[in-house]
Amino acid sequence: MQTQSFGSRYLTMRREKMQHGIQLAKRNKVCYLFLAPYAILFFTFFILPIATSIFYSFTYYNILEPARFIGFQNYINLILQDEVFLTSVKNTFVIAVITGPVGYILSFLFAWFINELPKWLRAIAVVVFYAPSISANAYTVFSIIFRGDAYGWFNAILMEFGLIDAPKLWLLDPTYMMTILIIIILWMSMGTGFLSFVAGFQGIDKSMYEAGYVDGVRNRWQELYHITLPSMKPMLLFGAVMSITSAFNVSDVPRILCGYPSTDYAARTVVTHLFDYGFSRFEMGYASAIATILFLVMILCKKAIAGLLGRVGT
Amino acid sequence: MSEQNTVKSIGTMKTISGRKYRGTLVAGETGAAFYEKGKDAPLVEWKYTRLHRLDNIRRGGTSSQVTVILKDDSRYIFDLDYGLKVYNQMDKNWADKPVTTKTRGDELHRLAELRGEKIQVKKHLITRRHPNRSIAGDIGIYLLLILMGLAMAFPLIFQIGASLKPLDEFFRFPPPVWPAHPTTDNFADLFVTMGQSWVPFSRYLVNTIFITFAGTFGHLIIASMAAFVLAKYQFPGGRAFFAVVTTCLMFSGYVTGIPNYLIMSRLGMIDTYWALILPAFAAPIGLFLMKQFMEGLPTALIEAATIDGASTFGVFWHIVMPNVKPAWLTMIIFSVQSLWNNSAATVIYSEAKKTLVYALGQIQAGGIARTGQVAAAQVIITAVPIIIFTLSESRILETMASSGIKD
Repeated sequence: MQTQSFGSRYLTMRREKMQHGIQLAKRNKVCYLFLAPYAILFFTFFILPIATSIFYSFTYYNILEPARFIGFQNYINLILQDEVFLTSVKNTFVIAVITGPVGYILSFLFAWFINELPKWLRAIAVVVFYAPSISANAYTVFSIIFRGDAYGWFNAILMEFGLIDAPKLWLLDPTYMMTILIIIILWMSMGTGFLSFVAGFQGIDKSMYEAGYVDGVRNRWQELYHITLPSMKPMLLFGAVMSITSAFNVSDVPRILCGYPSTDYAARTVVTHLFDYGFSRFEMGYASAIATILFLVMILCKKAIAGLLGRVGT
Repeated sequence: MSEQNTVKSIGTMKTISGRKYRGTLVAGETGAAFYEKGKDAPLVEWKYTRLHRLDNIRRGGTSSQVTVILKDDSRYIFDLDYGLKVYNQMDKNWADKPVTTKTRGDELHRLAELRGEKIQVKKHLITRRHPNRSIAGDIGIYLLLILMGLAMAFPLIFQIGASLKPLDEFFRFPPPVWPAHPTTDNFADLFVTMGQSWVPFSRYLVNTIFITFAGTFGHLIIASMAAFVLAKYQFPGGRAFFAVVTTCLMFSGYVTGIPNYLIMSRLGMIDTYWALILPAFAAPIGLFLMKQFMEGLPTALIEAATIDGASTFGVFWHIVMPNVKPAWLTMIIFSVQSLWNNSAATVIYSEAKKTLVYALGQIQAGGIARTGQVAAAQVIITAVPIIIFTLSESRILETMASSGIKD
């Protein structure tokens, strides 16, 4: 009896809430009109592809023949049979685990250091640090720097100092490939997140620092932990999202610098693998399964980081 | 401080230490200052701490109060009678808790008085921004920044050096970072090579400019409209939609590339400019930044215009858009950057529709004989976005200040 009345009360509440929602929607009809053009395009080019991707991941589809439903076969093949995929997962994981957090922390630290500079110097420093990631393929210069013959700058320097006798194939030898890739990706990691941090620092209410000073914050590290970090939480999360995105989406750098496919697949990442199956072999179903796994991992990462950041500065 | 948009209030300032100064309080665009009577240099100065700009200044309450309202709805109240208290409404219990009660100027005056001296008031009373910083730490940071800055800039400098090298210097050992005899031959050669190609160079340029312009313009209008209602109206589905957009920030480029290709081929857009332009309209980053920035606009501004009879579109076009210019610029630049860098290799295959970056990429594939031209092409591709960014840096940072994701 008790539960029933509780249940009916809950239902009434739900109904009232829904009616309120409908009323609100009716009153704000024009809002939907404003949202519509963007929403339609967004749906077509972002939501629909993701949904399609999930759908095709359960099929065999090569564009020419109609898609054939094969259940979880793509996923099973990926995990149990495709050794190259496992290599690519390992590589992506190594790149993501190193360049994601390190790049994130570096962007934060440099944004923080830059914030201490006078205004004109700060403007220059921001350009210097952000420049590598502005242009999508500034990194191609590394193909000259790390060229495999004696005319490559890095080889030449090492040979000048007598550290190596013969030039090394930095970008083609699986032993060095990953290290060099990681360095290059770190070089490019001061991206949108970095800008967000720089701006975030400038937006912090200066009176909080004054208050902190009066309350006995003695050095910059205490100030960072107790005042700066808690007021930057939204930017930190934005930076983290951007960092995850770039760490997991690495594909152009290895593809262009290390060759496609790279020697022994030593520089293959999940996205290069996806690119290979999607645009070279046209196995769309298989490629979609790779994409779907990547979506899931990225969303989980974002959730985990949001949870971690929730505890900062408390 | 510009002369426009300033409000002056004449009165006596009392400080904590009990001193009284007769003078003028001036509140303006960037901050406020108190000028002692007959002196040019301000006695005390405040800078508004938020990046948001000034909305409104008025003399309020008693005759000795000046209220400054900023775009993010925070307000500073300068009150002469109560010992120059500065209230900040963003603070909890702002009404009874002054943010600044004691200035460094007070402290200096008090110490000087103890010593029996009189100190000369200089223009900037606060010389060190952060009192709790060690000098050693500062020096360390400067050194680290210089080193890292050089490391960051090195590849780009190397690139420029390479583009200026004459051919014989490419094969000198050890290779110099900067050429001994810089030459612009590579750029000249590049234009010759471009001129000889089947499709004229200008065609690639026109393609890129058209795609960039159309994509950016549409993106600005469409995403701003969506951002406006998401930021300023409560309606069912709005929050959820924005959450989805935020999540989609993470899925860029190739991950959605394959289904995107399928959808575009269904819509018959493959090998047309639309394949590049339409997706650019819906770029999540632009909507995201615009919405976050618009949230900083005072709702009162919109309500006032609505009461005056403006339609929603009128409010959007005449009230909101002119007030979010920094965000426009940021959207434009992000959009231009991504369109400029888009080589469109997968969705466009006819030569006459390809973009500049793609054309330059083809030259890059031309092998060792073209090393100099490749470097020159690369310098051009890289320089454009960097120059655009440099010119608009302050506006971009102003927008990025509201870029955080609240979870």
